[in-house]
Amino acid sequence: MAIARKTKTTIQQAKPRITWAEVKKQKALLIWGGLIFIYGVIFCYLPLAGWLMAFQNYKPKDGLLHSQFVGLAKFKMLFSDEAFIRVIRNTLAMGVINLVVTFVTAIAFAILLNEIVSKKGKKTVQTISYLPHFLSWIIVTGILHDALSGTGIINELLMNFHLISQPINFFAHEKYFWPIVAFANVWKETGWNAIIYLSAITSIDPSLYEAAAIDGAGRWGKIKHVTLPGIKPTIIILLLMNVGNVLNAGFEIQYLLGNGLVQKVSQTIDIYVLKWGISQGDYALGTAAGIFKSVVSIVLILVANQIAKKNGEERLF
Amino acid sequence: MKKKKLLCLLMAAVMAASVFTGCGDSKKESGADTSTDADAADDGEIKEFTAFFAVPGSEINDDNEIQQMIAEKTGAKVKETWLTGQTQEEAIGTLIAGGEYPDFIEGGSSSVQLYEAGALVALDDYIEKYPNIKELFTEQEWDQLRQDDGHIYWLPQFSNIYGEEKECTHNDEAFWIQTRVLKWADYPEIRTMDEYFDLIEAYNEANPTMEDGTANIPYTILCEDWRYFCLENAPEFLDGYPNDGSVIVDPKTETVIDYNTTDTAVAYFKKLNDEYKKGIIDPESFTQTYDEYIAKISSGRVLGMIDQWWDFAYTGYDAIKAAGLDKQGCSYVPLPITIDRSVKNQWHNSGGVLNVSSGLAVTTSCEDVEGALQFVNDLLGQEIHDLRFWGVKGVDYEVNGDGTYYKTVDMRTKASDSAYKASHLCTYSYFPQWLGTSRDGINAMKPDGQPQEFFDGLTDDVKECFNAYGVMTYVDMLGTSPAPGPWYPMYTYSSTMTTATEGGTAWAKMAEVKHEYLPKVVMADDFDAGWAEYMDAYNACNPDAFIAEMQTELERRIAEAAKYE
Repeated sequence: MAIARKTKTTIQQAKPRITWAEVKKQKALLIWGGLIFIYGVIFCYLPLAGWLMAFQNYKPKDGLLHSQFVGLAKFKMLFSDEAFIRVIRNTLAMGVINLVVTFVTAIAFAILLNEIVSKKGKKTVQTISYLPHFLSWIIVTGILHDALSGTGIINELLMNFHLISQPINFFAHEKYFWPIVAFANVWKETGWNAIIYLSAITSIDPSLYEAAAIDGAGRWGKIKHVTLPGIKPTIIILLLMNVGNVLNAGFEIQYLLGNGLVQKVSQTIDIYVLKWGISQGDYALGTAAGIFKSVVSIVLILVANQIAKKNGEERLF
Repeated sequence: MKKKKLLCLLMAAVMAASVFTGCGDSKKESGADTSTDADAADDGEIKEFTAFFAVPGSEINDDNEIQQMIAEKTGAKVKETWLTGQTQEEAIGTLIAGGEYPDFIEGGSSSVQLYEAGALVALDDYIEKYPNIKELFTEQEWDQLRQDDGHIYWLPQFSNIYGEEKECTHNDEAFWIQTRVLKWADYPEIRTMDEYFDLIEAYNEANPTMEDGTANIPYTILCEDWRYFCLENAPEFLDGYPNDGSVIVDPKTETVIDYNTTDTAVAYFKKLNDEYKKGIIDPESFTQTYDEYIAKISSGRVLGMIDQWWDFAYTGYDAIKAAGLDKQGCSYVPLPITIDRSVKNQWHNSGGVLNVSSGLAVTTSCEDVEGALQFVNDLLGQEIHDLRFWGVKGVDYEVNGDGTYYKTVDMRTKASDSAYKASHLCTYSYFPQWLGTSRDGINAMKPDGQPQEFFDGLTDDVKECFNAYGVMTYVDMLGTSPAPGPWYPMYTYSSTMTTATEGGTAWAKMAEVKHEYLPKVVMADDFDAGWAEYMDAYNACNPDAFIAEMQTELERRIAEAAKYE
């Protein structure tokens, strides 16, 4: 705390005085900055007025101004609904699983790719691996549906290897749903996510590798002692940003792959909002669920940032 | 001097611009070739309206020929858009949240939400001005359409019968079966669920594959999202009641009965459970999407299923015909199935069902309500109506010496070709329309109601099947009964329920539970344990609150109808 205050005061002292000459000099910057500020106000902050809805018995006919205020009733309703508790669990679970697996695979993939000596081979693999990122979820889920169907390639392979005697109906069992979602995310995003780590790796000073080689480090040693520490700041920043995204565990994939049999594990907060907020016309309830999600995301990111700060690592703010 | 010139130029430019904006979004079209027609718009300008229908449908081309003809005759055209990739409720909920609407809208089961959001124009004052619209309903029916503020907001499109009823197709739900199964067993009389599944089992054992060696799928169940009626509501029909949709109404005691918990429901799901274990029911039933289901139907592999005709006929069955699979006997016919031979079936009802819960509405975003309703009125005139449903004389149909319309084989094939449908035909299918007999007293309003035309259009395997059973139409396969009472059908009320009431919340929760547990019950290793678990979850939804609200509505409808007696 004391350190924080100290840095604050030193910053204040170091602040240059604002003069007209300075303003004139930085005219272009100020104009652009102002535009972005206005953009932020209009598109990010003004819509927040809609949050009022969550505290009203909102009726589209009466609008925000004339709907009746009901205080926290909608939130109470939300938290007394078993289904909502379940979607929080699902969202968190899928969010964390996705975060961990996509994170680990992307870093591992980037490092492996970096170890390829042939430049051509490296480029080819990289290009192919990030292509799935550009497919929309509707296509990916279509492929998954086909591949995992009773007569799909996965079941055929398993049958040919005599691992199973009957085709497995993957989408009929709750236990398969989260792994399928995690797999789909890995398949779609690994190559894309690896790009940023690859570029971080290229910025590592080559002399470090030479020094490590002289000290007797093999490939594994170089990865462990040079590459990984070299990209650590990148890893931490991306981790922080992704922690804030945990509750955005997804909407399309769960919406498109889910069915009645697995709805207990497939529905996320976003699907809940769509179902009860939009479809059933209870916009207030949907808004309340949305607010809850935003608040939790902010808390998550603050906590993660604080932990990073405590450990003296890179941080967002 | 120079300045003045510049000013003139500027003013001229402004004036030119204002002329263009004056036209708004209505396109200028030449009205030269319409001048002979009395209905033609005087100034030759064609108004363009927009419409959104919260049901899946196919869009037609912008330069569609019949749409253009109708535009020339009526002075207006409508750009129609349909539901894609969303549910009805999601689409309408999103529109309401946005607050901007197309000129015309059909909100399906969310129509009441549109009304409550103040998005619709009250039509009462306009109706009197348009005779063709006025003619659609009786006074009693118009009153049934009034919302709680006493006004009328939408026009149901599909229940109006002009003159004598002409119905050959069973457009509704049934147990369907392929003709090859019936033919193999020499067209037996199948009346109960047990007989139905016994026949399918026996056939599949004797003929496990199609002619090309593809394995049959003996029975599949569509249960994606709202289409899970294919699994869910059979118990009401099996007990011999008509499609009230969400409940059974006992006409004697005038009470509402929950069909989810009847003995028949238990028997039905137990049967499905048995068949599932035997491998008769497609194991992918509960995870397949609608597209996958239609692909299966189209392949001709599926021997039988429950579905609504409109849900598979225009996609799956048309594909079967296009692939020539009807030569193998892959066409579907309905069977009059109940739980026991002593129970009379009511799968088919005569008289047209007035669905008061939804219809075509005009929104508050429409700037020319009179023009919009004038167009609806014009669409109901006989000449335009024939254009919509029969097509162009000499191109899509021919006229006999005695005035009856007929199609040649060629015309019929063309009419089911999707490219031709998009470029040439324009039925404005979700605008009000007539069933029954044409105003000329000879023809049917629509080709599928014209008995000769209907029979000529049947595939050979269906003809053979109908001959074997001594019937003429799909409807004859089932027999027909009039609507049971003035309350019918009750689903027009339950589909408007929202979570604003206790019963509505229960109804939404019940649907959620059924979506999950009905498949589980069918797939359960131990049926009784599975059923008990389902009943626990079901009763936790407070179904009594729902039934109580339905009972109140039933009594309200009976009392309302009594005023007209």
